[in-house]
Amino acid sequence: MDEDKVMIVMTSGTDTPRRCATPFFMATIAAAMDYEVAMFFTIDGTQLLKKGVADTVFPKEGGKAVGDYLRDAMEAGVKFYACTASTELHDLTAADLIDGVEMVGGATFWEMADETGKLVTF
Amino acid sequence: MANINGCELPEDLYYLIEKHVWAKPLDGNIIRIGMTSVAAKLSGGSLNAVTVSNRKIGKELAQGKSVATVESSKFVGPVPAPISGTLLRGNDNVIDDPSLAISDPYGEGWIAEMEATDWDSEKGSLATGSDGLDTYRKAIEEAGISCK
Repeated sequence: MDEDKVMIVMTSGTDTPRRCATPFFMATIAAAMDYEVAMFFTIDGTQLLKKGVADTVFPKEGGKAVGDYLRDAMEAGVKFYACTASTELHDLTAADLIDGVEMVGGATFWEMADETGKLVTF
Repeated sequence: MANINGCELPEDLYYLIEKHVWAKPLDGNIIRIGMTSVAAKLSGGSLNAVTVSNRKIGKELAQGKSVATVESSKFVGPVPAPISGTLLRGNDNVIDDPSLAISDPYGEGWIAEMEATDWDSEKGSLATGSDGLDTYRKAIEEAGISCK
Protein backbone atom coordinates (compact mmCIF):
# COMPACT_ATOMS: atom_id res chain seq x y z
CA MET A 1 0.00 0.00 0.00
CA ASP A 2 1.30 3.42 -0.96
CA GLU A 3 0.10 6.35 1.18
CA ASP A 4 0.84 8.72 -1.68
CA LYS A 5 -1.69 6.99 -3.93
CA VAL A 6 -5.36 8.01 -4.09
CA MET A 7 -8.09 6.20 -6.00
CA ILE A 8 -11.46 7.71 -6.84
CA VAL A 9 -14.21 5.37 -8.00
CA MET A 10 -16.66 7.22 -10.24
CA THR A 11 -20.09 5.64 -10.68
CA SER A 12 -22.19 8.73 -11.53
CA GLY A 13 -23.08 9.55 -15.12
CA THR A 14 -25.29 11.59 -17.39
CA ASP A 15 -28.49 10.92 -15.40
CA THR A 16 -27.06 12.72 -12.36
CA PRO A 17 -25.18 15.82 -13.55
CA ARG A 18 -24.90 17.34 -10.06
CA ARG A 19 -22.88 14.35 -8.93
CA CYS A 20 -20.40 14.65 -11.79
CA ALA A 21 -18.18 17.65 -11.03
CA THR A 22 -16.94 17.04 -7.48
CA PRO A 23 -15.14 13.75 -8.18
CA PHE A 24 -13.01 15.43 -10.87
CA PHE A 25 -12.53 18.50 -8.67
CA MET A 26 -11.35 16.35 -5.76
CA ALA A 27 -9.04 14.42 -8.07
CA THR A 28 -7.50 17.66 -9.33
CA ILE A 29 -6.92 18.89 -5.78
CA ALA A 30 -5.30 15.61 -4.78
CA ALA A 31 -2.97 15.84 -7.79
CA ALA A 32 -2.11 19.43 -6.79
CA MET A 33 -1.16 18.03 -3.37
CA ASP A 34 1.27 15.66 -5.12
CA TYR A 35 -0.80 12.54 -4.61
CA GLU A 36 -0.66 10.00 -7.41
CA VAL A 37 -4.31 9.96 -8.42
CA ALA A 38 -6.30 7.34 -10.33
CA MET A 39 -9.95 7.68 -11.31
CA PHE A 40 -11.68 4.37 -11.92
CA PHE A 41 -14.88 4.72 -13.97
CA THR A 42 -17.54 2.08 -13.64
CA ILE A 43 -21.36 1.64 -13.73
CA ASP A 44 -22.64 4.99 -15.20
CA GLY A 45 -19.36 6.85 -14.69
CA THR A 46 -18.03 5.37 -17.91
CA GLN A 47 -20.62 7.34 -19.92
CA LEU A 48 -18.62 10.51 -19.22
CA LEU A 49 -15.61 9.08 -21.01
CA LYS A 50 -17.39 8.76 -24.35
CA LYS A 51 -16.03 11.38 -26.73
CA GLY A 52 -18.04 14.60 -26.49
CA VAL A 53 -20.41 13.50 -23.74
CA ALA A 54 -18.81 15.29 -20.77
CA ASP A 55 -19.13 18.61 -22.57
CA THR A 56 -22.90 18.16 -22.70
CA VAL A 57 -23.33 17.58 -18.97
CA PHE A 58 -23.74 20.62 -16.74
CA PRO A 59 -23.83 20.20 -12.93
CA LYS A 60 -25.12 23.76 -12.64
CA GLU A 61 -27.13 25.63 -15.25
CA GLY A 62 -24.90 28.27 -16.80
CA GLY A 63 -21.81 26.85 -15.09
CA LYS A 64 -18.83 24.81 -16.22
CA ALA A 65 -19.39 21.63 -18.17
CA VAL A 66 -18.20 18.34 -16.70
CA GLY A 67 -15.78 18.25 -19.63
CA ASP A 68 -13.98 21.26 -18.18
CA TYR A 69 -13.58 19.54 -14.80
CA LEU A 70 -12.45 16.37 -16.58
CA ARG A 71 -9.75 18.22 -18.55
CA ASP A 72 -8.58 20.04 -15.39
CA ALA A 73 -8.04 16.63 -13.77
CA MET A 74 -6.24 15.17 -16.78
CA GLU A 75 -3.97 18.21 -17.07
CA ALA A 76 -3.16 17.91 -13.36
CA GLY A 77 -1.91 14.38 -14.02
CA VAL A 78 -4.85 12.25 -12.90
CA LYS A 79 -4.88 8.83 -14.60
CA PHE A 80 -8.19 7.55 -16.00
CA TYR A 81 -9.23 3.88 -16.03
CA ALA A 82 -12.44 2.51 -17.54
CA CYS A 83 -13.98 -0.74 -16.36
CA THR A 84 -14.42 -3.00 -19.38
CA ALA A 85 -17.67 -4.48 -18.04
CA SER A 86 -19.23 -1.03 -17.75
CA THR A 87 -18.19 -0.11 -21.28
CA GLU A 88 -20.14 -3.16 -22.43
CA LEU A 89 -23.09 -2.00 -20.34
CA HIS A 90 -23.16 1.23 -22.36
CA ASP A 91 -22.18 -0.37 -25.70
CA LEU A 92 -18.90 1.50 -25.80
CA THR A 93 -15.66 0.36 -27.40
CA ALA A 94 -12.16 1.67 -26.79
CA ALA A 95 -12.47 3.76 -29.95
CA ASP A 96 -15.50 5.56 -28.49
CA LEU A 97 -13.56 6.84 -25.47
CA ILE A 98 -11.57 10.04 -25.12
CA ASP A 99 -7.81 9.84 -25.43
CA GLY A 100 -5.86 9.00 -22.29
CA VAL A 101 -8.21 6.40 -20.87
CA GLU A 102 -6.95 2.90 -20.13
CA MET A 103 -9.47 0.07 -20.26
CA VAL A 104 -9.01 -2.45 -17.46
CA GLY A 105 -10.81 -5.44 -16.02
CA GLY A 106 -12.33 -6.05 -12.62
CA ALA A 107 -9.22 -7.75 -11.26
CA THR A 108 -7.26 -4.58 -11.94
CA PHE A 109 -9.76 -2.72 -9.76
CA TRP A 110 -8.78 -4.91 -6.81
CA GLU A 111 -5.08 -4.67 -7.57
CA MET A 112 -5.34 -0.90 -7.63
CA ALA A 113 -7.40 -0.92 -4.42
CA ASP A 114 -4.72 -3.05 -2.76
CA GLU A 115 -2.02 -0.58 -3.69
CA THR A 116 -3.76 2.69 -2.92
CA GLY A 117 -3.53 4.53 0.40
CA LYS A 118 -7.01 6.03 0.14
CA LEU A 119 -10.07 4.98 -1.86
CA VAL A 120 -13.13 7.20 -2.29
CA THR A 121 -16.34 6.31 -4.11
CA PHE A 122 -18.66 8.76 -5.81
CA MET B 1 7.99 47.61 -7.27
CA ALA B 2 7.71 46.87 -10.99
CA ASN B 3 4.37 46.99 -12.74
CA ILE B 4 4.09 44.64 -15.72
CA ASN B 5 0.73 44.71 -17.52
CA GLY B 6 -0.81 45.73 -14.20
CA CYS B 7 0.93 42.91 -12.29
CA GLU B 8 2.95 44.27 -9.38
CA LEU B 9 6.28 42.51 -8.80
CA PRO B 10 8.81 43.61 -6.15
CA GLU B 11 12.41 43.66 -7.37
CA ASP B 12 13.89 42.25 -4.18
CA LEU B 13 12.13 38.87 -4.33
CA TYR B 14 13.32 35.70 -6.06
CA TYR B 15 10.89 34.25 -8.60
CA LEU B 16 10.31 30.79 -10.03
CA ILE B 17 8.71 32.36 -13.07
CA GLU B 18 7.02 29.38 -14.69
CA LYS B 19 5.23 28.58 -11.41
CA HIS B 20 4.45 32.20 -10.46
CA VAL B 21 5.80 31.86 -6.93
CA TRP B 22 8.29 33.98 -5.01
CA ALA B 23 10.91 33.35 -2.34
CA LYS B 24 12.27 35.79 0.21
CA PRO B 25 15.24 34.90 2.41
CA LEU B 26 14.73 35.67 6.10
CA ASP B 27 17.20 35.09 8.91
CA GLY B 28 18.82 31.72 9.56
CA ASN B 29 18.33 30.03 6.19
CA ILE B 30 14.56 30.47 6.46
CA ILE B 31 12.80 31.27 3.19
CA ARG B 32 9.32 32.77 3.06
CA ILE B 33 7.33 31.83 -0.04
CA GLY B 34 4.16 33.00 -1.71
CA MET B 35 2.18 33.48 -4.90
CA THR B 36 2.83 36.37 -7.24
CA SER B 37 0.17 38.82 -8.36
CA VAL B 38 0.28 36.93 -11.67
CA ALA B 39 -0.79 33.74 -9.92
CA ALA B 40 -3.52 35.71 -8.19
CA LYS B 41 -4.80 36.83 -11.57
CA LEU B 42 -4.60 33.35 -13.08
CA SER B 43 -6.55 31.92 -10.16
CA GLY B 44 -9.49 34.10 -11.07
CA GLY B 45 -8.95 36.98 -8.68
CA SER B 46 -10.54 35.39 -5.62
CA LEU B 47 -9.80 32.30 -3.56
CA ASN B 48 -12.08 30.04 -1.57
CA ALA B 49 -9.29 28.18 0.19
CA VAL B 50 -5.56 28.04 0.77
CA THR B 51 -4.44 24.77 2.30
CA VAL B 52 -0.92 23.91 3.39
CA SER B 53 -0.34 20.17 3.36
CA ASN B 54 0.01 18.98 6.95
CA ARG B 55 1.53 15.73 5.74
CA LYS B 56 4.43 17.72 4.29
CA ILE B 57 5.26 19.84 7.35
CA GLY B 58 8.73 18.80 8.49
CA LYS B 59 9.50 17.02 5.24
CA GLU B 60 12.14 17.95 2.70
CA LEU B 61 10.65 18.88 -0.65
CA ALA B 62 12.35 19.37 -3.99
CA GLN B 63 11.99 22.61 -5.92
CA GLY B 64 8.68 22.59 -7.77
CA LYS B 65 6.89 20.22 -5.40
CA SER B 66 3.57 21.35 -4.00
CA VAL B 67 3.60 22.99 -0.56
CA ALA B 68 0.00 24.16 -0.66
CA THR B 69 -3.11 24.20 -2.79
CA VAL B 70 -5.31 27.11 -3.77
CA GLU B 71 -8.93 26.81 -4.77
CA SER B 72 -11.29 29.24 -6.43
CA SER B 73 -14.46 28.81 -8.41
CA LYS B 74 -12.35 28.87 -11.58
CA PHE B 75 -9.11 27.26 -10.56
CA VAL B 76 -7.60 24.49 -8.48
CA GLY B 77 -3.86 24.21 -8.34
CA PRO B 78 -0.69 23.80 -6.37
CA VAL B 79 1.60 26.40 -4.87
CA PRO B 80 4.95 24.87 -5.87
CA ALA B 81 8.08 25.31 -3.77
CA PRO B 82 10.37 27.88 -5.42
CA ILE B 83 13.34 26.18 -3.78
CA SER B 84 14.26 22.84 -2.24
CA GLY B 85 13.94 22.66 1.50
CA THR B 86 12.06 21.52 4.56
CA LEU B 87 8.52 22.85 4.91
CA LEU B 88 8.33 24.51 8.31
CA ARG B 89 4.89 26.05 8.55
CA GLY B 90 2.02 27.58 6.69
CA ASN B 91 0.69 31.07 7.25
CA ASP B 92 -2.32 30.63 9.53
CA ASN B 93 -3.62 34.07 8.59
CA VAL B 94 -3.90 33.23 4.89
CA ILE B 95 -5.38 29.83 5.69
CA ASP B 96 -8.07 31.63 7.73
CA ASP B 97 -8.53 34.37 5.15
CA PRO B 98 -7.49 33.21 1.64
CA SER B 99 -8.26 36.64 0.17
CA LEU B 100 -5.00 37.90 1.70
CA ALA B 101 -3.08 35.93 -0.95
CA ILE B 102 -4.82 38.11 -3.54
CA SER B 103 -4.97 41.47 -1.79
CA ASP B 104 -1.50 41.40 -0.22
CA PRO B 105 0.47 38.60 -1.95
CA TYR B 106 3.89 39.84 -0.83
CA GLY B 107 2.92 40.86 2.69
CA GLU B 108 0.24 39.33 4.91
CA GLY B 109 -0.68 36.90 2.13
CA TRP B 110 2.52 34.86 2.19
CA ILE B 111 1.85 31.12 2.00
CA ALA B 112 4.54 29.19 3.89
CA GLU B 113 8.08 29.15 5.24
CA MET B 114 10.78 26.64 4.40
CA GLU B 115 14.28 25.96 5.60
CA ALA B 116 16.39 26.00 2.47
CA THR B 117 18.50 22.98 1.64
CA ASP B 118 21.09 24.99 -0.28
CA TRP B 119 19.89 28.53 -0.84
CA ASP B 120 23.24 29.90 -1.98
CA SER B 121 23.50 27.56 -4.94
CA GLU B 122 19.79 27.28 -5.72
CA LYS B 123 18.96 30.99 -5.73
CA GLY B 124 20.81 31.21 -9.04
CA SER B 125 17.94 29.27 -10.63
CA LEU B 126 15.48 32.01 -9.66
CA ALA B 127 14.83 35.36 -11.31
CA THR B 128 15.49 38.49 -9.27
CA GLY B 129 16.33 42.18 -9.59
CA SER B 130 15.79 44.21 -12.73
CA ASP B 131 17.26 41.50 -14.98
CA GLY B 132 15.00 38.89 -13.46
CA LEU B 133 11.95 41.09 -13.88
CA ASP B 134 12.85 41.65 -17.53
CA THR B 135 12.69 37.88 -17.95
CA TYR B 136 9.39 37.78 -16.06
CA ARG B 137 8.08 40.62 -18.26
CA LYS B 138 8.78 38.58 -21.39
CA ALA B 139 7.04 35.54 -19.93
CA ILE B 140 3.97 37.61 -18.98
CA GLU B 141 3.79 39.25 -22.39
CA GLU B 142 4.29 35.99 -24.28
CA ALA B 143 1.49 34.39 -22.26
CA GLY B 144 -0.76 37.40 -22.85
CA ILE B 145 -1.38 37.88 -19.13
CA SER B 146 -2.76 41.16 -17.83
CA CYS B 147 -3.57 41.96 -14.21
CA LYS B 148 -5.48 45.13 -15.15
